[in-house]
Amino acid sequence: MDYVPSFDIGRQLPHSNCERYHQDETEMNLERVPNEEKLSLCRKYYLGGFAFLPFLWLVNVVWFFREAFVKPTYNEQLQIKTYVKRSALGLLLWVAVLTTWITIFQHMRAQWGEVSDYLSFTIPLGVE
Amino acid sequence: MGPGFAKWIITVAFCWFIQIASGNSVEQKIYVELNNTVPCVRLLNATHQMGCQSSISGNTGVLHLLETDSDLDIILNNGLHAPYMVLMDASFFNSAVMMRMKNSTRVAGVAVVIPNSSPVQGFSPHNKCPNQYTGVYSDTYGPRLADCNGTVWNPLGNGLSFEDFKFPIFSMNDDNQTAVIRKCISEHNMGVNGSAPAYPLCALQLFSHMHAVTSTATCMRRNDIQNNYSLNPETVCDPLGDFNVWAPLHPINTTAKGHKANESVVVAATRMDGRTFFWDVATGAEGTVAGIVALLAASQALKTTAEQAPPPRNILFTFFQGETFDYIGSSKMVYDMDNNNFVIDMENVHSVLEIGQVGLRRGSELWMHTDPVSRRNNISVNQEVGNILKGMTSAGAELGLSLAEPTATQALPPSSFQRFLLSRAVPGVVLADHQSAFNNKYYESVYDNADYLNVSYPPDLTLEEQLEYVTDIARALTNVSTLVARSLYLQAGGEESQLENISADSKIVTQLLYGFLIQSNNSYFRSLTNPEDKLLLEARAPQYYVGVPISANTIKPSTRIVQYLLANYLGNSTGLNQSKCQDPSGLPEESKELYSYLWVRGANGSEAAPFCVRSTVRRTLAISPAFELKQYDSRTYSTWTESRWKLIRARIFLVASHDLEMLTLGVGIAVLLLSLLVTYFLSTKAELLFAPAQESTGSAY
Repeated sequence: MDYVPSFDIGRQLPHSNCERYHQDETEMNLERVPNEEKLSLCRKYYLGGFAFLPFLWLVNVVWFFREAFVKPTYNEQLQIKTYVKRSALGLLLWVAVLTTWITIFQHMRAQWGEVSDYLSFTIPLGVE
Repeated sequence: MGPGFAKWIITVAFCWFIQIASGNSVEQKIYVELNNTVPCVRLLNATHQMGCQSSISGNTGVLHLLETDSDLDIILNNGLHAPYMVLMDASFFNSAVMMRMKNSTRVAGVAVVIPNSSPVQGFSPHNKCPNQYTGVYSDTYGPRLADCNGTVWNPLGNGLSFEDFKFPIFSMNDDNQTAVIRKCISEHNMGVNGSAPAYPLCALQLFSHMHAVTSTATCMRRNDIQNNYSLNPETVCDPLGDFNVWAPLHPINTTAKGHKANESVVVAATRMDGRTFFWDVATGAEGTVAGIVALLAASQALKTTAEQAPPPRNILFTFFQGETFDYIGSSKMVYDMDNNNFVIDMENVHSVLEIGQVGLRRGSELWMHTDPVSRRNNISVNQEVGNILKGMTSAGAELGLSLAEPTATQALPPSSFQRFLLSRAVPGVVLADHQSAFNNKYYESVYDNADYLNVSYPPDLTLEEQLEYVTDIARALTNVSTLVARSLYLQAGGEESQLENISADSKIVTQLLYGFLIQSNNSYFRSLTNPEDKLLLEARAPQYYVGVPISANTIKPSTRIVQYLLANYLGNSTGLNQSKCQDPSGLPEESKELYSYLWVRGANGSEAAPFCVRSTVRRTLAISPAFELKQYDSRTYSTWTESRWKLIRARIFLVASHDLEMLTLGVGIAVLLLSLLVTYFLSTKAELLFAPAQESTGSAY
């Protein structure tokens, strides 16, 4: 349902501000967050990823990539850059380990017989 | 959200209901469902899987008739429309052709058309040495007789039932439905003037995706894991099994299990099951029904004399279920006897007389098979066997049957008696119509039916007249039943003077043959079974495949029919009414420990005269001990299981060429991309294209 303000703000603000106003309601915008908060957010995601949550590292890399490498330098950017780099490293490690394990398991599941049956959550029907 | 939206929803729902209600859906215009088909399913044992498997979304292939060798060449080598679905004439359903197809990637599935006439040269999909590894002969017991070294019992066996096919195989009779398929093939799949046929072509799709794989050990392990650890357990296979039916001539206390003092029992055994290549089809005329009928008629013949001049030993009439699949029923009973879980134990067993295949006698010959190893090693066994043989030969001579022993060093044929011998050396004889190899050309196949035993009637008889008409085979089996009854009486220590009173009734035998081979819903069976059991008797012959128990309370119709018949033949009628019949616990003369009570409809087929039969008939579970002991890779017990499945279905439809399908897909994707492009273009240039009629200032939206 369209939000129609009681006063005619749509005719007074320029088009880009209107867009940003709507964007604020749906996602967190790093533009308006002070730098210290950005650093603490990045650190939280970095530390959280150590709890066997590589997806947090993925979010960290994607979200703070522009902040770390594209934006002009500011105080906290160096730390943010290290966090992003380390998150990317951890992420790559996880991807490598998971890909290797998944490939091996998918190939050897039939051969391993009993072991793979005990490891599987869902055993496919009618397949060796 | 408003009244317009609600109206739209109602309109859509209304149209949808109309669509469902009328049968005029698009699906019916494309597919023709084939309903009268029988699939081949996957069976597993301790080490292997066998049977057929389809992919989960069905196997589809262009139909091709297989009637000549050039057709076979087209299918396997030359044809342009591989993979093919083969509509096979049953004469090609043999080992050579099927093994070639098994190894080919160009066959998507097979539909076998079973004709009314059987192949003259014989056909048996079973193996040459039935129950090779679970019999008594092994490296330690009669090694020269093990693995059919001495005699090949089923020389026509091609082992097709034990092969693992990766495509579905269905069977259909040569009826109207098959005519539809042939019409479809002749209209679309025949090329003009020897050239390849053009698309669209007639295709067949078969669904028979089986869930279990590898072996019983694997599938039972997966069952256990699923049942213990999963939120939504999915059972993949079930052990084969059903119930054994047995009845002692004199009552035995059934609540006290284990050895019974002063009880010496002669076990009269036969098997109650059969199989074919296809699922749940087993007509088993010579292999199964002949033995059932002979033993039932013998029990009826013995009853009166046993009451007037009871023999010193008891006689236990036993019908074993599941013998085709490594002796499920008999191994379970012997296991129970050895573990004090049965009403008697092996020490109570005096001897065994088993009825093998007795329907295809050559002239008046019958053969008495014995076990040479136990006779050689054990003098008392040899003596007792000698007595049994003497009694049987003299009883046979009076009936005009010439009984003889096969070669002294010949092994026992595959029989339940072998499982008794595995436990302890008891004397026993297996009665059969074959000297060495089976006379049965169609052992465990679809052709072992009423026609093979010549159960045929003159054409102008009504159903009731057919029921009473005594065929030649009925007369022959009556002789065999009388022989069995008299031999049992002698074996149980009865007087020879009483023998002339024991004779089987040929009218009963012919009615039994009609009921077991032609149609179980007839007035004779109706009068002897429970009137409230509507699903018991059908308008066709019962099937003798052992199958899996669907729930704890379902029993195969054939097992229940045998139970009711045995109860009527060996039991007496009582005056109890229906409610007392179901629970006679309070009554002084009735004992649930000694007897079982069944409510039957009564003679004249009318509802007006039902009564309660008191008899000694019992039913015990027949599931292999391997499943009780959880030894799923056992070599000594049967480990047969049947896979589960979700959908079994067959349908034909027309398929277009692969190129046309790809072209349609490509055009569709192109249209999609084009429309996306046009929409994007329209939305970005919206102000240019849809310029407002006038610029108004100061007005809200």
